[in-house]
Amino acid sequence: MKRLLSLCLTAVAVGAAEPDYVQNFDSLYNNLTVEKRGTVVELRARAHGGEALESAVDLSDPQQLVVRYTRTLYSALFFQPRPERVLMVGLGGAGFHRLFAASYPQTLLQTAELDPKVFELCQSHLGFRPTAQTPVTIQDGRLFVKRSKEKWDWLILDAFRGGYVPPHLKTEEFYRECAARLSERGVFISNLHAGNELYYSDIKTICAVFPQVVLFSTAGTGNVIACAVNYTEPSILDAKQWAKDEEFLRPPMQGRLDFATLRRERVPHPSAAEMKQAKVLSDDFAPVEFLNAMKVNNTR
Amino acid sequence: MHRHHISSALTASASFNLHLLVSLIAFYALVVVLGILSMGFQLLASRLLNPHFGSSIIVWAWLISTFLAAFSIGSMLGGWISNVAPARRFRLQATTAALAVGALAFTAVLGRLLLNRIELAFGDSSTGLLIACIGLFFLPVTMLSTFGPQCVHYLAQRGTAPGAASGVVYGVSTLGNIAGVMLTAFALIPSFRVSTLLYGWLAVAILSLTGLIALLRAAAPASPTKP
Repeated sequence: MKRLLSLCLTAVAVGAAEPDYVQNFDSLYNNLTVEKRGTVVELRARAHGGEALESAVDLSDPQQLVVRYTRTLYSALFFQPRPERVLMVGLGGAGFHRLFAASYPQTLLQTAELDPKVFELCQSHLGFRPTAQTPVTIQDGRLFVKRSKEKWDWLILDAFRGGYVPPHLKTEEFYRECAARLSERGVFISNLHAGNELYYSDIKTICAVFPQVVLFSTAGTGNVIACAVNYTEPSILDAKQWAKDEEFLRPPMQGRLDFATLRRERVPHPSAAEMKQAKVLSDDFAPVEFLNAMKVNNTR
Repeated sequence: MHRHHISSALTASASFNLHLLVSLIAFYALVVVLGILSMGFQLLASRLLNPHFGSSIIVWAWLISTFLAAFSIGSMLGGWISNVAPARRFRLQATTAALAVGALAFTAVLGRLLLNRIELAFGDSSTGLLIACIGLFFLPVTMLSTFGPQCVHYLAQRGTAPGAASGVVYGVSTLGNIAGVMLTAFALIPSFRVSTLLYGWLAVAILSLTGLIALLRAAAPASPTKP
């Protein structure tokens, strides 16, 4: 009992310990903070009312998905279990990338990131080493999608600037551009934040473009990951039709991803009453900043 | 009889003062409206550009520079217009107002179509942005800006010292700029489509420029300031 108490006290002491370092950086687009505490490095961006956690990486095990919603991004495997070409809009600290690159060494994981400082810090402080399979292009995500002629098996939208998402990455027109760049069985994946008006408009806009949309809510966080496809058949709405674990399980995922939990994270679409005020956002009408983009921060 | 003359003179004087007051209020209101139109248009312009060029600092650099260039050239052009002979000045006022309205109509009707074409035609963002900004925003803002110096001239003609006239016009106009930015950001963009707002800008430009030209003409002296 004494030993247990001592362990608990040690844990509390470690949790409350001074960080190894906290460094602030001003970039063209963000005020960024990098904080190292033990082996974990966090990348945060100043947002209204504090700092938004962009990413976190455990340097002792970089493949660990420290920020919980990055685990939920892997629910795309249920719909496209063999991704060969993946585009990610928004690099963050590349928390998602390490496990993915280790699990799918032959797959191209292309990233479009607007802020060159984010890419720089990712390499200098968060231990990310881009390779030929994980290239990063410094460009606005929408421009990258528009100008790329390639098709993608997964197209992940996870771009935030501080506490909000740029309006042009939230519109029906942009989602149509994304839909046009998906391969035949491609999946569009978007990281949304529930609990504000924007969330309902996000869902309505995604549903206006994609015929099938499945939502996963990361347990204990406000993140909702929307997975959407271009096709109506086969149905992705029936969980029994989803790919089985053995179709996509790779050794690096062992102990880092629990697909049974991910399957349970599926949530229904918001009710008609909740969606009553929702609007389809368009290039012509996207008051994203006023729909309270981010009441909920990412959570480790 | 004598009393009647005094009374008539007083009534005429009061009526003249009231007329002066009303025209001055209308004048300053129009200066504010022009300020709103110019800077509010910059926010609308950013919303038009974002889907095609993103919302990076590069977009803002081109957009702000375009507007400043338009303010600069418009002011110089307006300064020149204020000093030409009235008949020619009236023609120039009508021409600049027509160009402002025509250019706003062009942006409202063909803006999106043109931006789609420009975006596809130019791989380089800066080239595309330069062409888009010049093609869609430069002309209307330049033409609107020509009326600033003419407003200064209007006040100077009515007896205000040139320095004071310049200070008050640019001060009031800048208040209009602030109102334009805040109104557009916090009230208009959250409530209306950008395309609807562009038509609103067009309607307000037609009304305000018509009113301003009428005021400027009414105040013009019979003889030219400069031959």
